Amino acid sequence: MKRGGRVWSWFWMVLGILYFFLPLVATFIFSLRAKKGVLSFLAYQQLFNDSGFIKGFSYSVLWGILTNIVGILIFVPTAYWVRLRAQQFRTAVEFITLLPFVIPAIVFVFGLVRTFSHPPFLIVDSPALLIAGYTVLSMPYMYRSIDTGLRSIDVRTLTEAAQSLGAGWGTILFRIILPNIRVAILSGAFLSFAIVMGEYILAQYLAKPAFAPFLAYLIQQKAYEPAAATVISFALTWACMGIINLFGRGQEGQIAGGH
Amino acid sequence: MTHLTLSNISKQFAETAAVQDFNLDVAKGEFVSFLGPSGCGKTTTLRMIAGFEIPTTGKVVLDDVEITDKAPNQRNVGMVFQAYALFPNMSVAQNIGFGMQIHRESKATIKQRVEEMLALIHLEKKGNSFPYQLSGGQQQRVALARALANRPQVLLLDEPLSALDAKIRVSLRAEIRAIQRKLGITAIYVTHDQEEALSISDRIVVMYEGKIEQVGTPFEIYNFPQTAFVANFVGTLNTAVAEVVDPAKRLLRIDGVELESAEVMDGRQKGDKVTIAIRPERFNFIAQEKKANVLDCTIDNITFLGAVVRIQVLVGNNRFYMDTFNNPFLELPTIGAKNQITCSREAVLVLKN
Repeated sequence: MKRGGRVWSWFWMVLGILYFFLPLVATFIFSLRAKKGVLSFLAYQQLFNDSGFIKGFSYSVLWGILTNIVGILIFVPTAYWVRLRAQQFRTAVEFITLLPFVIPAIVFVFGLVRTFSHPPFLIVDSPALLIAGYTVLSMPYMYRSIDTGLRSIDVRTLTEAAQSLGAGWGTILFRIILPNIRVAILSGAFLSFAIVMGEYILAQYLAKPAFAPFLAYLIQQKAYEPAAATVISFALTWACMGIINLFGRGQEGQIAGGH
Repeated sequence: MTHLTLSNISKQFAETAAVQDFNLDVAKGEFVSFLGPSGCGKTTTLRMIAGFEIPTTGKVVLDDVEITDKAPNQRNVGMVFQAYALFPNMSVAQNIGFGMQIHRESKATIKQRVEEMLALIHLEKKGNSFPYQLSGGQQQRVALARALANRPQVLLLDEPLSALDAKIRVSLRAEIRAIQRKLGITAIYVTHDQEEALSISDRIVVMYEGKIEQVGTPFEIYNFPQTAFVANFVGTLNTAVAEVVDPAKRLLRIDGVELESAEVMDGRQKGDKVTIAIRPERFNFIAQEKKANVLDCTIDNITFLGAVVRIQVLVGNNRFYMDTFNNPFLELPTIGAKNQITCSREAVLVLKN
């Protein structure tokens, strides 16, 4: 590469890093200034002593886990079936999975409230509706991760090989397909988990305890704790990303060997 | 004794007739190859035996039990795929034992049979390896062992050697045949490689556009092709249009020269046009005076193919190939020289269509 090109590459990279990290660094430093004149973790201490934070955080973790369980149970068989037997519907299914990107969450939540707040679907108070909503919101990440995983293995031939050896659908799905797309499922699961942890609108309008509504409440009440909560939230998201990378590493050879 | 019967099988995909009126009886322990170009219906037929496709019409009977509509996992049929299809998350031993686990065999039985199978494919030390740690040839041997471990009634092989390099293909096909003979298992082998089919099979089913063109032993298929397609598809062949001169004397004419054939020409009339076929190795240059089946020719090209030298000659408007075994003292003609070639009357085949 020419010297001039290299300089510009560095320039844009440094600019990008500053753009992304400066606000975070500023938020982090601000969160350390709860005690006047010194840098301390007082805001973090206060946050962890706040029962609202523990409650909101714990509920979000619970919603995240439940969303992933429901998502895996729905999207793995769907993506598998579309790849195996319903290729003609693939474009339509992919379009549907992308809808949460184009339909604003506020529109979606009002749709849920209107539909499920009177008989015969009176479940607006149930956490099931929240989980269903989160499952829809996480659909682009979960479905696409699974689909990418399925693309890396020869789904049809593996299925037929297992069938010829006497395996039924359950065995094929749980013993052949799932273990071979484990990394893809984990990637989707951690992304979904990160989405649920940071999601505000659904939890707020369905009146369910969660981390993001608590954070919004905190911003109105206090100065330093919201900054600390934001840093924790980012750390959690990055941890999820890190775990995805960790699981993804060293899997390529194994998947390639499947062909 | 018939072991596998396919009766009046046909398969329609939308507007396309993939297989039409396919009839075949396979004896127990027989090795039958389906040979044909891409899209001829050979794999579709195999998949109908495996249960992955349901015939539009017809019946599949295995050991006197009709299995036409049975699900693939309800048939005791082993299958080896072109893409190996080993389960990447399982070790070699787990792959081989998978089918037995499904059939709830005891752990001791599974362990014993896996060891037997590993010995059969000469991979005794690879039981704990994963598929990605094996070469292509080794993976395919494991796939074969996995298919055989369940002791299937029929072994189906769908172009199992296509993804391997030439040398391994040759050694592995011999190994497959040896294992099949040792176990006495009925095998159906799909290939588009005529050399593979000729070398490995008890019988060959040559297919074209969904139909059977000819069924026969490799010897019959090569030496006595019945249709123009079989003649052209299997081996190199010279074909030319000839005129029937005297059906009773089996006399034909090509470019003004009379040729004698050994074939019975029932139903042919004087003046009929027929397609004749002559294998390149059946031609010779004239060494001594000969009256019948002598063709004047011009040497057009000479190609050295290793064990064989292929000489291209022009006979009137027809271009023929003549193969002669290579030897260090072979006297080759010069290109452009006039010469005469001949063949026996048995070498002149009259094709059905």
